[in-house]
Amino acid sequence: MSMDRRFVLKGMALGSLAGLTLGGALPALGAAHGSPRSSAARPALVLVNQGAEQSAFVQGARATGAAVQVRQIGGDLTDLLSLQSQLGSGRKMRLIGLLDDASAALVVDMARSAGARVEWLGQHTARGGVTRHRLLNTASAEGCARQLGRQLHGCGAGFELTEERLGSAAPARQLSAAPRNQRHADQWAAGIGYLLGSLGAGRPTAAPLIAQAGAPLDGSFVSFSIET
Amino acid sequence: MSEQNNGVLPRGVTQQEFNAAVEKFRALLGNENVLVEQQQLVPYNKIMMSVENAAHAPSAAVTATTVEQVQGVVKICNEHRIPIWTISTGRNFGYGSAAPGQRGQVILDLKKMNKIIKVDPEMCYALVEPGVTYGQLYDYIQENNLPVMLSFSAPSAIAGPVGNTMDRGVGYTPYGEHFMMQCGMEVVLANGDVYRTGMGGVKGSNTWQIFKWGYGPTLDGMFTQSNYGICTKMGFWLMPKPPVFKPFEIIFENEEDIVEIVEVLRPLRIRGIIPNSAVIANILWEAGSGNVRRSDYITEPGHTPDEIQKQIQKDTGMGAWNLYAALYGTQEQVDVNWKIIVDEFKKLGKGRIVTQEEAGDKQPFKYRAELMSGVPNLQEFGLYNWRGGGGSMWFAPVSEARGSECRKQAALAKRVLHKHGLDYVAEFIVAPRDMHHVIDVLYDRTNEEETQRADACFAELLDEFEKEGYAVYRVNTRFQERVAQSYGKAKRDLEHAIKRAVDPNNILAPGRSGIDLDTYKS
Repeated sequence: MSMDRRFVLKGMALGSLAGLTLGGALPALGAAHGSPRSSAARPALVLVNQGAEQSAFVQGARATGAAVQVRQIGGDLTDLLSLQSQLGSGRKMRLIGLLDDASAALVVDMARSAGARVEWLGQHTARGGVTRHRLLNTASAEGCARQLGRQLHGCGAGFELTEERLGSAAPARQLSAAPRNQRHADQWAAGIGYLLGSLGAGRPTAAPLIAQAGAPLDGSFVSFSIET
Repeated sequence: MSEQNNGVLPRGVTQQEFNAAVEKFRALLGNENVLVEQQQLVPYNKIMMSVENAAHAPSAAVTATTVEQVQGVVKICNEHRIPIWTISTGRNFGYGSAAPGQRGQVILDLKKMNKIIKVDPEMCYALVEPGVTYGQLYDYIQENNLPVMLSFSAPSAIAGPVGNTMDRGVGYTPYGEHFMMQCGMEVVLANGDVYRTGMGGVKGSNTWQIFKWGYGPTLDGMFTQSNYGICTKMGFWLMPKPPVFKPFEIIFENEEDIVEIVEVLRPLRIRGIIPNSAVIANILWEAGSGNVRRSDYITEPGHTPDEIQKQIQKDTGMGAWNLYAALYGTQEQVDVNWKIIVDEFKKLGKGRIVTQEEAGDKQPFKYRAELMSGVPNLQEFGLYNWRGGGGSMWFAPVSEARGSECRKQAALAKRVLHKHGLDYVAEFIVAPRDMHHVIDVLYDRTNEEETQRADACFAELLDEFEKEGYAVYRVNTRFQERVAQSYGKAKRDLEHAIKRAVDPNNILAPGRSGIDLDTYKS
């Protein structure tokens, strides 16, 4: 198998796909508060960095209607070792998160050591209103990358998205679009929060539009969905 | 019971043959120790190298808990020609992490073999299984109030002594050259035999962790960075905890200072005045591990210009080079050596000395002091946030501990990295005669073009260093075949002759350090 071959689904084709689901404006998050969009979404512990408890990602996760508990992770060894001990406790738990590279490297590896299942692993960069996403997924996240692509396209932000499916003989899937506007710069993070929050609760749907708070997210992040 | 259906198979193995082996693994290890589902394998496939994850996707992962089970796994692998890639804790970040060297290899994960078999506080040694972490050992030592200390690499708490030593990793204490401090290992060979090195074969011996050499050929080294056996126990020496520990830093303002730093430092190391594996970290390493991000200063792609690096120095008080070392012993010993060091650097007329009292809890001093005193922390993971994007490959050439050589290597590495739009993020780990010149090639894996640049950059670093007679001491699994070529045909022929003798079915980690009976052509 050639590792370099790519299936490329670029701008125009994606635009038509996006048109099917988005049509016009995205639904506002306000409408979703208190009225779960997906009652099947399961409870989750949401891991984010310090100061991100109201972030777009958390808003997206909350919008699923699932019970979510948010935990902020610092670089402190104690935080991470406590998480490691929880992961290894044998208790059922579901973790989703959007963390900086350093923290995520540790969390994901601790999940491996604990024998946890990882359904979604995403590497994301947001810079100057353009985002890039590299996903390593499993069959249980089927349709999520495509849905995220539609969502990103609908928001008008430029993006590149590559999805590898573990073990798939198919080449990596690539989606991309040029930026059209910057109005919903953080919607990508909300979209991922929503997708991960509702993973396993049926066909992935579009996240509601979040209220943009402060400066847009900028930098590099890792998203994940982990189950023990 | 789930079938393996993830589409990944070991090289040359049919699905039918593979399934038969999986059934035997299940019978031997229990279902819960045979992982074949995609969700179970994703965390083994998180890599930081400049290739797609698919190139290092495992077909399965199995976990063993006893030596007998490891022997059983090896037997099954021989019967079905299944290649296995063994990991202990799998925390070899930037060198391949927990992923197999080649697509389709079955991971043998020894994380559950995590018994601390013995810690002898009088003879100052430990004997452990592969899954034991430094954090686990640290807790054991603390809980039992033992007068010994550990030496570990920066991932400290979560990495383990067996994996680190088998890969010839280093730490930052006087016992920092870990393989030198290793004493006695137990190895399961490809034919299922259990071989103990040194004194370990002598019935009733109590000197297995005391005397390294035993009788006749000493083979410990043969099992490091290789694929001749699976280490299931390892002994290593522990340093007595000193009554006084005095860490210090010396900050140098200019890149060119590296020449004089090394010229002053080498005699101090060779004479044992500075006893530990000291470190000279450059500004970007220092900044990254001190929680500074590149994006705090510049968002343009490419390497970080020198004027920005100078600005970071100005804002943070960090140096172009930052030397960290420590003294250990009684107050009298420390005082004598401290005076010698201060006098030597005063003579140089350069360098600002910072003591622990002056630094307080400031990073990166704090984590450096902890590493040099055997206290685990995870501060250095901050390097991954310097540029972000999840790409990291260690380029680690060996250098003479000579100022001119260090300057030459630093300039060469910087030139190649900058040509490819990447940063020179480096430290020298200082042994008496050599330097491990460790460079973190950091890049953004979400950016396909940058990933390709990083790949080309790493290849060019290897080429350019080789032209000058330099080679790396350790490398990620993406480039292991290339690095093996640097060390010459005679060595490779011998390594493959040994491989044919000890593992004729080529089941143990084919490709490790370029040793692979299926692909090597003499």
